[in-house]
Amino acid sequence: MRDVIVFVEHSAGQTRKVTFELAAEARRLADALGGKAHAVVAGSGAAALAHQLQNHPLDKIHYTDDPDVDKYLLDPFVDYLEAVAKSAGPSVILVPNTMLGRDIAGRIAARLNAGLASDVTELRVENGRVQCVAPKLQGSTITTCAFKSGDYGVITVRPNAFSAAPKSTGAEVLSIEKPSGKSYKMAVESDVEEASGELGLEEAPVVVSGGRGLGGPQPFESLLKPLADAPGGAVGASRAAADAGWVPYSLQIGQTGKIVSPQLYLAVGISGAIQHKVGMQTAGTIVAINRDPTVPIGETADLLVVGDLFQIVPALTALVQKAKAAHA
Amino acid sequence: MKAPALKIVVTVKLVPDPNAVRRIDPATKRLVRTGVDTALNPFDEYAIEAALQLKERLGAPSTGSGQATTVTIFTMAPESAKESLRKALAMGADDAVMLSDPALEGSDVSVTSYAMAQALKKIGFDVILSGALSDDGNTGGTAGALAEYLGVPGLTNVRKIEAIGDGRIRAQRETDTGYQVVTGPLPALVTVTMAVGEPRYASLKGIMGAKKKAIEVLSAADAGIDRPLGSDGAKMEVVAIAAPKSREKARVVEAADGASGAQAIFDFLRERKLV
Repeated sequence: MRDVIVFVEHSAGQTRKVTFELAAEARRLADALGGKAHAVVAGSGAAALAHQLQNHPLDKIHYTDDPDVDKYLLDPFVDYLEAVAKSAGPSVILVPNTMLGRDIAGRIAARLNAGLASDVTELRVENGRVQCVAPKLQGSTITTCAFKSGDYGVITVRPNAFSAAPKSTGAEVLSIEKPSGKSYKMAVESDVEEASGELGLEEAPVVVSGGRGLGGPQPFESLLKPLADAPGGAVGASRAAADAGWVPYSLQIGQTGKIVSPQLYLAVGISGAIQHKVGMQTAGTIVAINRDPTVPIGETADLLVVGDLFQIVPALTALVQKAKAAHA
Repeated sequence: MKAPALKIVVTVKLVPDPNAVRRIDPATKRLVRTGVDTALNPFDEYAIEAALQLKERLGAPSTGSGQATTVTIFTMAPESAKESLRKALAMGADDAVMLSDPALEGSDVSVTSYAMAQALKKIGFDVILSGALSDDGNTGGTAGALAEYLGVPGLTNVRKIEAIGDGRIRAQRETDTGYQVVTGPLPALVTVTMAVGEPRYASLKGIMGAKKKAIEVLSAADAGIDRPLGSDGAKMEVVAIAAPKSREKARVVEAADGASGAQAIFDFLRERKLV
């Protein structure tokens, strides 16, 4: 018997969508392992978020709105997560593979002396052991890893790899007691938002990305954003575009940026070098627009349209908007 | 008055030469690292750059008094990869230390971070710098685990060190939506993003000088490591490897104009029920 614990990531009073995917997967794993599914939510607004999570198939939702969580870097998160893990006993901890999630995962794994599986896209239980499937070596190899012992195990899960399954199972909401004897020193002085909207980049069902072919920052706003907005998607960028300063690095998709796995990925004016491919190759459908028919993105894409992006994108936006209006 | 000297350690990972073909041994299910030339993880070169910038900023010691800020390169790798560290020394680092022990082969994130932490405690440091990403394993959790085993704060994804000295650090960390400013005491572990600036090239003088710089080799015992290492100590094992599902080759459509290009995409998305 092993419990499964979900680390809940949230921002500005909103639970990140990946949390719901993790909750569904936690339920499935907990059932297979004969344990309970927990969630841990810490920080400002946690109580309200904990109650919202009751619409997801969990058994226990642990929360704290201790202000230290937002005032200090990472450690309070890890302490609260550790407290819940210790009370649950050797368990599997699911963390989103996001900037925050990766930091949390490394720390809690060391704290619990646990194994760590990264960027997992598929989970299985075989003979009571959890197996984690993840792409490695720039996606050229798919590895399946298993935790060796019945100890704790920590897994970072790729957003959009699993589906949420909202369902109320009457989860209990419990407040976590503040771990004693902790003092925090690394203070967060300020949090500055540079670009809004891209928080959902890893979770967006549709990502419209621009590269060098856009020629400057302006077409990201005027061309790509309307196309992404129509289906509720997000705008991304290649490293070349981020390096050129056209968009913040937080929009960059690829090995040195974010890894996305949307249903639809539109690569606009992106050549699609391996560095970019690593960040988007597991998308459901990949469509590329490029004026060069020999670009490497042709190897990754399902459809490559060779033409002038400045003409194609607005025409496509109009078609998508029209279809959406007809549907509504 | 000059800022007091800092002991900076840059942890680097030696990865298979990016130009070499990467292969997994079917028997051990591990990346083949023997017989393959190694190179500095390109992202760690940014950490070396950041360290050298700090050293320049803090300046040389005033004559006859105090100690200079030093930059030590640290890696965990087989001793045979020693020469790969010369590049870091040629860029301007002062010396290097390797943790090399056959017992470490097959270590997972947990064992690696534990072993590195033990060695780093032995070396001593005010600040540890490393690249925010690795070019091969891409596990991403190592920095957090290392900070935890060292018992120091981990400032990940730092784009700018605003101030450092007098036992404190103030830095800008990239977040999903922008950045945050954090401040606190040293020692600390800092991972830097590419925003710190392009790594410098080694000068000819640097390359010549690097040949004379010391590379110390520590064994697991030297570092005071007393936990099972390698695959014995690992918490994870690889049970299978496979090739990814290959995608069919792209359908290519030459668009005569914007409207026909847009229509081709729209029809394709309709076909896949995506609009």
